[in-house]
Amino acid sequence: MKKLCAVLTIVALAVLIVAPVSASAVQPPLLSTNELVENSYKWDGQTVSFKGEVLQDLMVREDGTWMNLSDGNNTAMGVFVPKGVAMPVISRTEDYRTVGDIVLITGVFHRVCAQHEGETDIHAVSVTVLTPGSTKANPIRLGRVVWFVVLAGLLGLVMWLYYRKPGRGTEH
Amino acid sequence: MIRRVWREDFRIIGYYTGLVTIGVGLLMVIPTVTSLVFREWASALDFAISVALTLLVGYVLALISRTKNIPGLTHAMVIAAGSWLVAVMLSGVPYMLSGHSKSFLDACFDTMSGYTTTGMFLLQDLDHISQGLNMWRHLLTYVGGQGIVVLALTFLIGSTGGAFKIMVGEGKEEKLEPNVRHIAVLIWRISLIYLGVGTVVLGLIAMANGIKPYLAFFHGAYIFMSAWSTGGFAPYSQNMLYYHSSAMEIASMVFFILGSFNFALHYAVWTGNRREILRNVEIVSFTITVLTTFSLVCLALMQRGVYPNAVALFRRGFFQLISGHTTTGQSNIYARTFVREWGPLGMLATTIAMAIGASAASTGGGFKGLRMGIIVKGIATDIRKLLSPERAVVTGHYHHLHDNTLTDSVVKGAAVIVVLYVLIYVVGAIVGMAYGYPMVDAFFESVSAGSNTGLSCGVTQVSMPTLLKIVYMLEMWMGRLEFLSVFTLFGFIATSFRSMRVRKAAV
Repeated sequence: MKKLCAVLTIVALAVLIVAPVSASAVQPPLLSTNELVENSYKWDGQTVSFKGEVLQDLMVREDGTWMNLSDGNNTAMGVFVPKGVAMPVISRTEDYRTVGDIVLITGVFHRVCAQHEGETDIHAVSVTVLTPGSTKANPIRLGRVVWFVVLAGLLGLVMWLYYRKPGRGTEH
Repeated sequence: MIRRVWREDFRIIGYYTGLVTIGVGLLMVIPTVTSLVFREWASALDFAISVALTLLVGYVLALISRTKNIPGLTHAMVIAAGSWLVAVMLSGVPYMLSGHSKSFLDACFDTMSGYTTTGMFLLQDLDHISQGLNMWRHLLTYVGGQGIVVLALTFLIGSTGGAFKIMVGEGKEEKLEPNVRHIAVLIWRISLIYLGVGTVVLGLIAMANGIKPYLAFFHGAYIFMSAWSTGGFAPYSQNMLYYHSSAMEIASMVFFILGSFNFALHYAVWTGNRREILRNVEIVSFTITVLTTFSLVCLALMQRGVYPNAVALFRRGFFQLISGHTTTGQSNIYARTFVREWGPLGMLATTIAMAIGASAASTGGGFKGLRMGIIVKGIATDIRKLLSPERAVVTGHYHHLHDNTLTDSVVKGAAVIVVLYVLIYVVGAIVGMAYGYPMVDAFFESVSAGSNTGLSCGVTQVSMPTLLKIVYMLEMWMGRLEFLSVFTLFGFIATSFRSMRVRKAAV
C-alpha cells in the first residue's frame, strides 16, 4: 500500500511539473490555405502553423523575404519572413524538374495585412525545413517517341502530296 | 430563302480551316523551343507530337479540300467559328499529354478559355507545369486576343477578298486599311511592339522584386501576354498574388487597360489623332461605367469594413474592378475572398463591370463600351424626341473615329447583341443555380465566362458538373465571336443535313 501511495505521489508530482510546460509549448493549429481563406475572419491576427512546398522564387526585399508555399492542388499562401527571423537554408525550390523543400512555418495570419496593403498573408516567426527537396523524374516514354515518328512520317507524306498537287477550282 | 449547301462550300470551308490549323501547328513550335531551352525533354516531346498532329490535320484538310474559290460571307462565318473549335481541340493535346488535365474536356476548357482570353482554368497542379506549357497557355491567350484567324491571314492566306469577311466573323470588324493583309499586319505590328516593351518593363520589375534573372523576363512576357490580351492567366496558381508587388500590378493594369481599347483607337493615336482619346464614345462610356461600378465596390467594402485603410482598399478594390471591367481577370485576392469578404454588393458591382466589358474590336469581351454608348445615346435621343415639338427633326450623334449619326438600325443592332449577351449570362447562371450554387455566385461566374473575363468566386473547379463546364465553354466561344459566326455555323450544319435529305429524296 505504501508503495502504491509513493508511486501515485510521484506520478501526481510529475503531472504537476510537466503539465504547465506542455500547455505553454502547444503548437499553433496547422492550417491549410483553404481553411485560412474560408475562415479568414476567425483566424485573422492568430498565430498559426502552415506547411508547404517552397515555390520557385524567394523574393528578398528590404524588410524581409517573401516566399510562396504550395500546400495542395492549386492552393498556395504568401509567407513574409521579416528581417531578424532566422531563415534556414532552402536547398531547392519548386521547378518542373524539382520538388521544393517542404517547410513548416509558424506565424501570424493576416486576413488583410496593413503593412502589405491588404494582402492575405502570414508573417512568419519561425521557419523550419521539414523535408529537403529532391529532383523529379520526367522520363521520356518510348511509346510517345513512336507516336512522334509515325505522325512525323505521315505529315511528311501529306506535305509532299500537298505541295506537288496543283490546286483545284477557278479563282473568282 | 436559305440556299442549299454544295460540295464546293465544304471545300472552301475545309481549305481555309486547314490553313488556320496549320497556323496553330506552327505556333506550337514556340513552346517546343521553350521546353528545349529549359531542357524539359519530356515536355518538348509532348509538344513535338502535338505539332506533328496539328500540322497533319491542317494539311490533310487543306489537301482534300484545296480550292481557289474565295469564301463568301456564309463561308467566312463558318470558317471563323469552325476553325476556333478545331484549334481548341488540337491545342488541348499538349495539356492532355502533360498529365495536368484530368480529362480531354478539361483540356479543351482551358484552351477555349485561353483562346477566348477568358482566363479560367481547370489545369491540375499549375505550380508544377513545365515552362513550355506555361508559354503555350500564355501564347494561346495572346494569339486569341489578336485573333487566330488574323494570325493565319497575316502569314498564310494573303489579301483575298474573302479574308476580311473571316476577320469580321472573328469579331474584328474595324477596317483600318483597305487591304486585309495590311490590317492583319498592322494589328500584329502594334501588338508585337507592345509585347517587346511590356516584356522588358515587367521583366525588370520582376527582377527588382527578387525573381531569378533568367526567369524574370519569362514572367514579364507571360504577364504582358495575359494583360495585353485581357486574358488573366498567370504562371502560378496565386495569379498576381504570387509577386507581392504593387509595381507589377500597376504595370500590368496599364497594359490591360491599353489592351481593352479598340484597335482603331490605337491606330488613330498612332497616326497622330490624339484628340480621339478624349472624344471617343467608348472611352467616355468606359470612364463613366468604371467610376460608377468602382463607387459601388467602395461602398460595399467600406460598409463591411473589409480593408483597414484607403491604400489597401484602392490596391485590391480598384485592381479587381478594373480587371473585371476590362475583362482581364487577373487577381490580387483569393477567389473565395469575393464570397467571404466582398459580399453580394461588391460581387454585383464587379459582375456589372464584367458584363459591360471592354471596347469593340479589342482583345476584351462583354457588351462593349461602344454598344453601351450607342444604346444610352439612343435612349437620350428618344427622350429628346418626345420632349420636342412634333415637327422638329431630332437626330442623335456619337463620336467613334468620326462623328456618326445615330440611326434606328444602329441602335437596334447594338441592342440585339446586348440582349444576346444577357441571354447567355442568364442561361449560364440558371444552370449554375440548378446545380445548387447560390444565385450571386452563379451569376458572377456565368458573366465572367460569357464576357471572357475569367475572375472566379470559386465555382470553376475540376470537380464542377460536366454540363456546367460545357455551358461555360459555349458562353466563352459565343461571347468571344459575338454570336453571328457561331449561329451561322449552327445554321450551316442544319442546312447541310437538309440538303443531304433533299439529295437522297431526289435519288
